[in-house]
Amino acid sequence: MSTLISLKDIGKKFGDVEALSNVNLEISRGEVVGLVGGNGAGKTTLLRIISGVYNPSEGSIEFEDGVDGNAFRLGVVPESTGLYYRLTAWENIRYHTRIHGVTDDVAWERTSYLAKLLNHEDALGRHTRGFSKGMRQKTAIIRALAHGPDALLLDEPTSGLDVTSARSVRKLVQQLRDEGGTVVYSTHRLEEARQVCDRIVIVHNGSIRADSTPSELLSETGSKTLEEAYVQLTKDESRPRHEQKESEGKLSKWWRRFLTGNTPEVFEDE
Amino acid sequence: MNKSSYIVRTIAKKEMIEFVRDWRTLLAIILIPLLLFPVLFILLPLVLASEAAELDVQMVDVVVQGDSDEELDKLLCTEFVSCSYEELPVDSDNFSDVEPDVERLRNNSVDAILRLKNNTNGTWNFAILDLSTSEHSREASGRIRVAISSWEKSLVNQTLLSHNLDPNATLDPVKLLGDSALSDAATEGEQIGLILSLFIPLVLSIWTATSAVQPSIDMTAGERERGTLEALLSLPCKRMDLLMGKWLAVAIIAGVSVILQIFGLFFAIVFLASSNVIGIPAIELQAMLLMAFAIGLFAIMIVAFELALAIRSRSVKEAGTILGPLMLVIIFPAIFVQLINLDGIEIWWFGVPLVNILLALRELLLNRVIFSHVLVWFISSSFYSMCAAWYAARQFNREDLVESLN
Repeated sequence: MSTLISLKDIGKKFGDVEALSNVNLEISRGEVVGLVGGNGAGKTTLLRIISGVYNPSEGSIEFEDGVDGNAFRLGVVPESTGLYYRLTAWENIRYHTRIHGVTDDVAWERTSYLAKLLNHEDALGRHTRGFSKGMRQKTAIIRALAHGPDALLLDEPTSGLDVTSARSVRKLVQQLRDEGGTVVYSTHRLEEARQVCDRIVIVHNGSIRADSTPSELLSETGSKTLEEAYVQLTKDESRPRHEQKESEGKLSKWWRRFLTGNTPEVFEDE
Repeated sequence: MNKSSYIVRTIAKKEMIEFVRDWRTLLAIILIPLLLFPVLFILLPLVLASEAAELDVQMVDVVVQGDSDEELDKLLCTEFVSCSYEELPVDSDNFSDVEPDVERLRNNSVDAILRLKNNTNGTWNFAILDLSTSEHSREASGRIRVAISSWEKSLVNQTLLSHNLDPNATLDPVKLLGDSALSDAATEGEQIGLILSLFIPLVLSIWTATSAVQPSIDMTAGERERGTLEALLSLPCKRMDLLMGKWLAVAIIAGVSVILQIFGLFFAIVFLASSNVIGIPAIELQAMLLMAFAIGLFAIMIVAFELALAIRSRSVKEAGTILGPLMLVIIFPAIFVQLINLDGIEIWWFGVPLVNILLALRELLLNRVIFSHVLVWFISSSFYSMCAAWYAARQFNREDLVESLN
């Protein structure tokens, strides 16, 4: 399998906080890679670097050319889904496909196909304002796939979904894998990762602790369950989390001091 | 069409569709500006006329202290003025001292007091005591003054006639002959331009800035708050295209709003206002185009600046807190500019940010196209607009755009 996305020595800092360090990861065409880690492990930061929302502080990221020599295309489903509630589901999807340069006819054809798969056809013409979490997630997934991406990034796609909706999302990912699609699937649920992913990448405290198939993870750690393996791989104490400093500007800092009447020295001690 | 302009148009179109689907914003940005001036032009005269009529028939209580005169009584004590008579409570040294009557004036049992003293040599002294914070008292005081003025005129006429003098020739020997309206070298259109130049720049600048606030916040801080920005930033479009798309949408919305307000204003002038009060100003095409250009430059600057400040905010509330007081930064110069004398104005005024555009609008409404002034405001405003656009571009390139308070 050819490497589709290659991350080399990626590091990311937000001020004093080191969110990622020395991340090396290769994602091949046609595989489903699970990013597994706890809250604040660095999964979302890593996905945002791949999707171009963040620039890495260190290292580089390379993408292979897309199918038929087209530019590489990503489909992204962020955790918040990011739907515009004054637009219909189809208008949300069309907005993104237009920016991707896909004609409305082609986008509609793909949207109809995907909506049928997810049993979401009736919702396409409705405003997303009243959508349930599951309906929002389905719309976001269709939006991320309607332009025919080379890889799909899913950030905790089943978080907050009911059993049926979560199952249909997992089923879709499995179908994409069967059809040769590439998916990066972020989750903090090990069992879900085992069901869906070919490879599990354990992210902890901003670095990759393991990158193997589920069975390899068990054998490498000598564990009986993935949960045991995960605990073993992440059992070191969490790195001291720096206090998240407010990115407060000089003017607002001055204003805050003015309002509270505190001297700068008091704030230095905070 | 290249890819970049297509993306800018796509973003702008989506933003506008979203915007017009909210009836509250339509009300605030479309309906209110359209109806503001027509309603003002209809309601204001109605309210003023009704208030004036109400005052005219208002009954007021007046106390006349000291001497009285029959003719003055006839002039003062009419159907709507109830008069009563008293002795003078003070002497000549403290004739206008309110102290003896302060209580009844303050508790409104009397609206005004007229103190009158006959000096026996044909002259009189008077004082009017009132409560200036009471409308009734001010009205009573005003009626006393009118009556005294008429009475005084009558006394003067009687004295002049008794000396065989013509009152008109004696009191008004130098008279204006002709129509003052005909003696003005300024055309009627230019005179109207002068009147409009006192408030159109004010309205245009304030409305451009205020109508851009809501869409600017919604399209930036609103997106951050609703978590829609992350999906958008992961699309293959440059951040500059994103800024341009949003800028275009806000500029169109603010532009439509301002045009509707101007339309409403001229509709009110043409159809609702009395023609001797106001009319259509005489402005040549060149001045009109320059006005449109000046407003355009102002809009580029102000919209870019508002977008930049709004995108820095992590919530709609935070953006509102920042952009709300910003309106004062626009309102104060807009009022200040009305005080600047345009005749012989120093050229550097046309280089001061914000003030330059307002002065340019005032000058152009007077149909004055002065090349050196145009050059200075054009160059300086273009520079300020570019600075604002550069600042906005910097803000849109921030990495923390996807973070919100939610």
